[in-house]
Amino acid sequence: MNCDFVLTTCPYCGCGCNFYLQVIDGKAVGVVPCKTHPVSKGTLCIKGWNAHQFVHDEKRLTKPLIKKSGRFEEVSWDEALDYTAKRMLEIKEKTGPDSFGFLSSAKCTNEENYLLMKLSRGVMGTNNVDHCARL
Amino acid sequence: MAGLVASFGSGAMTNSIDEFEDADCILITGSNTTENHPLIANRILRAQEKGAKVIVIDPRKTQIGDLADIYARQNLGSDVAWLNGLINVIISEGWYDKEFVSGRTEGFEELKAKVADYTPDKIEQISGIPAATIKQIAEAYAKAENGSIVYCMGITQHISGTDNVMSLANLAMVTGNVGKRSTGVNPLRGQNNVQGACDLGALPNVFTGYQAVINDELRAKFEKAWGVKLDGKVGQTIMEMMNNAHDGKLAGMYVMAENPMLSDPDINHVREALENLDFLVVQDIFMTETAQLADVVLPGTTYAEKDGTITNTDRTVQRCRKAIEPIGDSKPDWEILALLGQKMGISNFDYNSPEDVYKEIMAVTPIYAGISYERIENETLHWPCPTADHPGTLFLHSGTFSRGLGALKSIDYREPAEMPDNDYPMQLTTGRMMFHFHTGTMTRNSPALHKEVKESYVEVNPSDAKEQGIVEDEKISIASRRGQIEAKARITNKVGRGVVFIPFHFVEGAANVLTNPALDPVAKIPEYKVCAVKVEKI
Amino acid sequence: MIDKVRQLVVDLLDSGRADAVLALANVHANVQPYLYKKGDSLDSLALWPKYSMGPILKSIQAAQPDMKLAVVARGCDDRALVELAKRGQIDLNNVQIIGLACTADEATECECANPYPANIDVGNKVDGVASTDLLAELKGKSYDDRLIFWKQAFDKCIKCYGCRNACPLCICEECILEDDSWVKAGEIPPPFPIFHLIRAYHLSDKCVECGECQNSCPMDIPLTSLYALIRNEFNELFDYIPGAEIDRKSPLVTSLEEDPIREETA
Repeated sequence: MNCDFVLTTCPYCGCGCNFYLQVIDGKAVGVVPCKTHPVSKGTLCIKGWNAHQFVHDEKRLTKPLIKKSGRFEEVSWDEALDYTAKRMLEIKEKTGPDSFGFLSSAKCTNEENYLLMKLSRGVMGTNNVDHCARL
Repeated sequence: MAGLVASFGSGAMTNSIDEFEDADCILITGSNTTENHPLIANRILRAQEKGAKVIVIDPRKTQIGDLADIYARQNLGSDVAWLNGLINVIISEGWYDKEFVSGRTEGFEELKAKVADYTPDKIEQISGIPAATIKQIAEAYAKAENGSIVYCMGITQHISGTDNVMSLANLAMVTGNVGKRSTGVNPLRGQNNVQGACDLGALPNVFTGYQAVINDELRAKFEKAWGVKLDGKVGQTIMEMMNNAHDGKLAGMYVMAENPMLSDPDINHVREALENLDFLVVQDIFMTETAQLADVVLPGTTYAEKDGTITNTDRTVQRCRKAIEPIGDSKPDWEILALLGQKMGISNFDYNSPEDVYKEIMAVTPIYAGISYERIENETLHWPCPTADHPGTLFLHSGTFSRGLGALKSIDYREPAEMPDNDYPMQLTTGRMMFHFHTGTMTRNSPALHKEVKESYVEVNPSDAKEQGIVEDEKISIASRRGQIEAKARITNKVGRGVVFIPFHFVEGAANVLTNPALDPVAKIPEYKVCAVKVEKI
Repeated sequence: MIDKVRQLVVDLLDSGRADAVLALANVHANVQPYLYKKGDSLDSLALWPKYSMGPILKSIQAAQPDMKLAVVARGCDDRALVELAKRGQIDLNNVQIIGLACTADEATECECANPYPANIDVGNKVDGVASTDLLAELKGKSYDDRLIFWKQAFDKCIKCYGCRNACPLCICEECILEDDSWVKAGEIPPPFPIFHLIRAYHLSDKCVECGECQNSCPMDIPLTSLYALIRNEFNELFDYIPGAEIDRKSPLVTSLEEDPIREETA
């Protein structure tokens, strides 16, 4: 039996509270506030306290999906990414880089935002990249 | 953001979270702080406990308004007016900081002339805040040793959002409350990594660290780092992309962990826009309303299944650590993007870990250059932090502003884009609440949170409710020029007469069916906080 | 002190008398609960700030009931473990307690009246904090003034349930605080005084003075003072101290046939 406490940053507001996800045998079972963290100092709000709950929700997406004749079908990662790459490059070719846009996310990490931004500017060749800071 | 850039030269919280505790006066506007930033409310209430005056100006008397020393309810969208009014009182009473104004700012004489028109009586007319209260607030804030301003989307989500922010910056500069501890102009960021998404260049005009795409030198730097040719014109914002998609001028979109079908104004318009695309990719953890419209859905992971960094509202870069393996065949979002980049034939998209990516970020981003994974294991670092031995920056603009002199902007009050009329006689304002988050993707799938609030509601003032015979929990209709929804009434004095409030988290009773997509001309932020509606019994 | 704890942990693991030891560790420059196993380096072992060990032990036992566990326990942990065992939440037969007495500084920081476990393995017994300024002030107030005091304090409540979540003795499977017929759901601050009175009443025979409620409160509400006032009255009435005696049941769970109030003896 393994029981770990993994220090991480809360996924909700911008305060930047940290907490431990309690993981028992690979499953996130609870949240323990981090007492030594400079922002949260052992406290959390109700969302932070329950931040493990949606992680294992049975409605989570677990397979790549492609819509074929109006219905989603489960496909392999290779198929999904090959298809996506092909369609994106086709659009770039046909109607130009600025006919494509990217929405990045304030819920993803810095590294992920950087990669999406790089994909937009460096690969598709457009500055049409934004996220919901305004919303 | 755009407002602070114009006034100070950079757009982020000027000061850090712990500093609130030592302020003598904290002016909060457009922020429901206890519900939406509880740990910042904690510092503010600690300051109050030590004797600081807490002032709240908000159209809703939320919990922080109840706890405040002075609370004032302004009319929706009247912020420039009451802020000019405060500055007028401060200048005419001689409470302004003459040394700071002459040494560190420009535009004072023009500002003085402009605000002279905004007399307390005129302010009372426009904003509904009593003239005496304006004077009381002006005195409390101007005479404080360390006055701090806190604001959130209640200030920015207006067609005059940029003007509102510049007016707050005016107020801080006129009183010398910027560039030192426990002062400043502090926008609270509403999502755990909004600051980071901005810092990393997920914006149409800048690369990482606010390096402008139109700057040839900076663009050349990125061209060299990435080994590609880059475009030098500013891209489209979300709202522009949606409008272009609607008009058939955008062929495809890639949406990562966003749900514009619930978060954007005028949802019916958003649906038409997304349905009009030739190709839509959505990368998310649940089948969101937006994902349902996609051609390809890629299963990303939650924060619990990935490593990386996140930058909080006070510019601290912190770690997100992988706690469990990805659920099913889902993959961390960074890995999906790296794989897709490779599939698209780009060689330098070959990353083994988030730290690999982060090292590249450090190399091209001066404000992050000194913040390494290694250092943040042991230290709390706020950007800017340009070198490996730099201690990070608790508060900005000490000694000089990023743009040199602070710009005092002379600004006139403008009415919201849509005012009440005979057809739509009431006003709607929207926002968040404690128990849910943004579009509910995470919180509505969390039983403890769902138990607290299961469905949408609309706050109605008791007098309005009485007039229309509306009772608590009665399902009523709310309609605007853009659509109609139904929600249960909560009768409460939190909202003033003629105003209703709806949280935007719920797909059934979605507030953003009603909201007005009119944009701030500079920041392109939609006016979520005011539109005209009619409220009727069903 | 820490070296002695380290040695005890190593001995238990190496000898096989424990499969794992629940203690604290310094990881990523922060202190966290940690389940040590044989072969783990104990360089990271930490003692302070304390975390509540009872609920973690309970979650581990639920996952693997037959595991031979040891736990580094302070006075409050020790009492919580006893009270949890009495109420069928954990099985102490499989648990060895490494009793750690708090230092005077730690006792002062926690305002703890009993800063030591029943059996001390490490550290020395120091005097607890008998009363606090706030407790004295509250006792001196009229009931009306006390009500005003608590109303103002609870006006700050953001209903995070941190006080309940952090409490080692909040063990109800269905929490009445989440029952809409008792406490209207979805309101901030939660209805006064029902939300906080239910908790205070529920803790009258359970509170082991660990202070985790207050430590977890993002709004700095002085919860331990409220519970101390109620606990003291309860103790006067029933002569019962939660976590003190393993074989004595709480008077609140005694059957109605007996008189739960002990007669005054001359």
